Amino acid sequence: MPPLALALWLFNVVIDTGGQLAFKAAAGHPQAGEGLARWRHMARRPWLWIGIGCYVAEFLAWIAFLSLVPLSEGVLLGSINIVALMLAGRLLFGEKLTRLRVIGMLLVSVGVAVVGAGA
Amino acid sequence: MRRLYLIGFPLLMAFDTLAQLSFKMAGSHALPVEANLAWLLRVFGHPWIYGALIGYIGAFFTWMSLLEHAPIGPAFAASHLEVVSVMLLSAWLFHEPLTLARVAGALLILAGIACLGVAESREGAAAAREPAAAG
Repeated sequence: MPPLALALWLFNVVIDTGGQLAFKAAAGHPQAGEGLARWRHMARRPWLWIGIGCYVAEFLAWIAFLSLVPLSEGVLLGSINIVALMLAGRLLFGEKLTRLRVIGMLLVSVGVAVVGAGA
Repeated sequence: MRRLYLIGFPLLMAFDTLAQLSFKMAGSHALPVEANLAWLLRVFGHPWIYGALIGYIGAFFTWMSLLEHAPIGPAFAASHLEVVSVMLLSAWLFHEPLTLARVAGALLILAGIACLGVAESREGAAAAREPAAAG
């Protein structure tokens, strides 16, 4: 893989994981309230906007990355994001990694990679 | 919680699928791809791009509602159900080949999501027992 593609891929993993974690931080806030009040609470705090910013940056980085590597290779490498988020959820939100959850996440991850490899 | 997931994840899949298929429709109707205004006008002049927009916005609100309670690791993995639905619909609508590898990958994704579903219902059962034990 060319160095630029490798850099773009690493950037994508970081920004995708970071964006999802920001969304979780926004959505899971315990004092957010219900219904419309919950959305107002989220909109007034930075997490939601950080998440949206990451999405936009990721969209551009992903298009640039796919212009350098074949789509199948791209999808294959994208499946790493599932594992990255599993570990980050454990570290930052204390999410329990039960055996069944780990098996489930790894199966999905391998499945996405296999679909990508078969494209 | 269980009902939230049973409605939320299929809804998320539906919005994500609508967005992807609409992008494909809008993109193929706007060929050839060019980095200019004419191409953008062709893309946005086509009704399918609004399907993509609806899909994106719907998926965003569904996802943020799910994340209120769902753990991010398993939920992000489960959101890949979209890969399976897009694959099946592309085979039907765009005649993209269903190779053995793709079908095998789809089955692995489904098996993984089934595991996550069982894991969550066990978590839910454990959480329901805890307050009773404490009280």
